[in-house]
Amino acid sequence: MIEFHQLEVRYGATVALNGVSLELGEGVIGLLGPNGSGKSTLLKTLLGLLSPTHGQGSVLGLRLGGPESARLRSRIGYMPEYDALIEDASAYDQVAFWGELSGLSAEQARDRAHEVLYFVGLDEARYRHVSGYSTGMRQRVKLAQALVHSPELVFLDEPTNGLDPDGRKRMLDLVLRVRGELGTSVILASHLLEDVERCADQLVILDKGRIKASGSMEGLRKMLARRYELRFLDALDEAQEGALAELGQVLEGRNGLYDVELTETDPSLPFRWAQDHGAVLVQLTPRHDRLDEVLVRALSGGFAPDEKEA
Amino acid sequence: MPIYAPSLPPRPTMNEGLAPALVLARFDFRRLRHQKIGMFFGFAYAASLGFMAIWVYVRFLLKTNSALNGLDALANQVLVQGPAFQASLVTLGGWLTTLLWFQVAFVGGGVIARDTLYRIRPLIYAHPVRPRDYLAAKGLFAAGLPFLIQLPFILIPWGMSMLIAGVHGPVWATAPLRLIPAALLVSLLMGSITLGASSLASTPRAGFGWVLGIVLGLSALSTIAEHSLSQPALGAINPLALSAAWPDLLCGTPGPELGWIPALIGTAFHVVFWTFIAARRTQPSEAIL
Repeated sequence: MIEFHQLEVRYGATVALNGVSLELGEGVIGLLGPNGSGKSTLLKTLLGLLSPTHGQGSVLGLRLGGPESARLRSRIGYMPEYDALIEDASAYDQVAFWGELSGLSAEQARDRAHEVLYFVGLDEARYRHVSGYSTGMRQRVKLAQALVHSPELVFLDEPTNGLDPDGRKRMLDLVLRVRGELGTSVILASHLLEDVERCADQLVILDKGRIKASGSMEGLRKMLARRYELRFLDALDEAQEGALAELGQVLEGRNGLYDVELTETDPSLPFRWAQDHGAVLVQLTPRHDRLDEVLVRALSGGFAPDEKEA
Repeated sequence: MPIYAPSLPPRPTMNEGLAPALVLARFDFRRLRHQKIGMFFGFAYAASLGFMAIWVYVRFLLKTNSALNGLDALANQVLVQGPAFQASLVTLGGWLTTLLWFQVAFVGGGVIARDTLYRIRPLIYAHPVRPRDYLAAKGLFAAGLPFLIQLPFILIPWGMSMLIAGVHGPVWATAPLRLIPAALLVSLLMGSITLGASSLASTPRAGFGWVLGIVLGLSALSTIAEHSLSQPALGAINPLALSAAWPDLLCGTPGPELGWIPALIGTAFHVVFWTFIAARRTQPSEAIL
């Protein structure tokens, strides 16, 4: 669905995306990264709003920055991070307007505006000017305009920005419905890990314009399932500590307590290792990382892209 | 608690709508219809048009009614029916031109600035809209509006004159052939200055200030240049003088304030320069950064 190779985007002298290569299939793709990591730049490049200074790519089979950019944009929906609403128009008027701008006829756009506003739960408020809307309603208008032309792929940039917990839950429910019921693929850019964890089935972690990690959430979960805390009866000597690397990556450890990510999922391995190296393993505790720990590790460089698949 | 729809109906057929430029321009025209400022100018133009229609009818009565013969002689001295009278149909002695400039400043000042204020330009470009579509749409609105307003001021008096008195009426039979191109040139001038000014502003109110600032500033500059260098052609810097000059030039009014060459160069310069500014300021990269 999305494919790009050595993509580089610059704002003057600032490199916003630095040699990014990636292939993404259908589904909900979580795009994670701190502020300024290049998430929005990546989305805008995929939309054809920014031209790559180097590299190439394609979205839905159409080349980025090529003459088919306009056709590509009629197949994509975009929900921006900031308030991009026509304040002096009703939700209905503006959603119909965006529909027409995407290539629908006036009649289709009007019908579709009613349907999509009902879909996002704004049926009763649709004739009111958006200037009187709450933050949650404004976010839903933005989602409605992104969906009005039934795109094959929709980019949601921080869709839960400024929402209270209840509004956030409703927005994420809508995101899941977009994928589940409409069959639309979603790229969900967020710095909120829980949002991505709840919705995404693929994950891309960006930092300083580079991809720090990417892969399926399933693969990530399997990888997280290989992390264990090993407690030995006595502190390991230097030779034993050195040999512990045979089990996998030692993330942390001292005084007989080690945090290890095993190379294989078999939990009997540490016991066999202890037997072979004359140590007594008294406790083996699965330590399943939360996603935020994975992100911290990825951003600190302890999570290489080739680790992505289990 | 919002009520959510069970799901959405199947995907509609795409690419059956209008061109993006027309969709954008139509949205701006529709918005104007609902604005108070649009209603105010609508009333002002309707009143002017009514006044003009009465004026043409009075001219006809003075010509044809024997009881008014004495008055006719007087009227012929006051209300000349030569080229100046024809040109005044689209200027109303300067009143209509001034009102049009105020209107393009009030309404047109927000044509691009409003998109900047609401931050919707990146979203517009996220749809199948190219920068030239956007510029064409905004240009269509900014130049189309003054043109559409001037059109009835040409056609209604002309139509009345033709119906009442035929080719010998107060309005020349060929007047639309001269006045419509004049209105088109004036509208292009007004539209391009509005576009450029609005693209420099971040709010519609600032856009109003920019339009007035450019028009009045250039007017002052041209007056200084004209008088200090004793070159009347420098009046072509002034958009107000240019908009007043075209009806006179095309109707052949004797002793126009500006000649053909300065008027052509001045108008072409303004149209190209301000459209270029607007094009530069509304690039997708400008919309993002």
